[in-house]
Amino acid sequence: MADFSWYIRSPLERALVAGRYGAPGEAGVSLTEIRNFDLVQVMARRGKAAETVNAAKARFGVGAPETPEAVDTTDATLIWSGPDQFLVLSRGGGQRMETLARVFAGLASLSDQSHARALISVSGDKARTMLAKVSSIDLHPEMFPVGTAAATSIDHTSVTLWRGKNRQDGQAVFNLLVFATFAESLWHTMLDSAAEYGVTIAHSEELA
Amino acid sequence: MRIVCPFCGERELGEFTYLGDAKPQRPPADAGEDAVYDYVYLRDNIAGVMSEHWYHGGGCRAWLKVTRNTLTHEISAVEPAAGAGSAKVGA
Repeated sequence: MADFSWYIRSPLERALVAGRYGAPGEAGVSLTEIRNFDLVQVMARRGKAAETVNAAKARFGVGAPETPEAVDTTDATLIWSGPDQFLVLSRGGGQRMETLARVFAGLASLSDQSHARALISVSGDKARTMLAKVSSIDLHPEMFPVGTAAATSIDHTSVTLWRGKNRQDGQAVFNLLVFATFAESLWHTMLDSAAEYGVTIAHSEELA
Repeated sequence: MRIVCPFCGERELGEFTYLGDAKPQRPPADAGEDAVYDYVYLRDNIAGVMSEHWYHGGGCRAWLKVTRNTLTHEISAVEPAAGAGSAKVGA
């Protein structure tokens, strides 16, 4: 039998080259890949939606989102991903499958997505202008305030998009979860769209 | 054309996939060959208001029942298809 050597690496490991890209001058867009997160999909079983929301409330102190929004708790972010379903995004290992399986036992079906998605954080002066080129969703602050989430498509690729807390300098932050195998393609699309504004590319282990 | 998904809000057509007529009901097991043939193959070609199934695959992945006028593309109602989400609808 072949000997496999498994090791964890980012789906953007090849595509992401940290540094400056595109137009010179002050960068209008920051593209940051967030690495090493835990992500669990929770889907309520038939007739168990309300109980699932309550189980989340008992665990996290806030109910699971029932409309397209992302809710921050002390050690996780609960992101709506469709009717009766949401994602639990965290880091540090406190909200992994084995823990959440007990929380939602009998109520919801869980699926570990930690290594199945890439998480990209988009911010900067021109972040919204850049995203407007590739997304059909109105991301104006009045329509898409902090905490709003959307299951949508960008460049024909399904993404979970939500607005995180503003950066310390007040700039809006848009977070995108994309299927790992589509991450590279989406990354290039966003890089091309952002090039005219100048881009700062980085990766981080801090959840925005 | 845009469809107002009851879960996501107004979205562009590209996020949806069309299935077809939402009217046909699966006949009971003893209904006979003709009824099954009708259910599987025969469709009305409606010029006017029609009930259709659409799939929001590029979004929340819910099946929807859309009432659409095939002549004008005017959509008069959108609701979750049977079994699609038991959570509160609307907002």
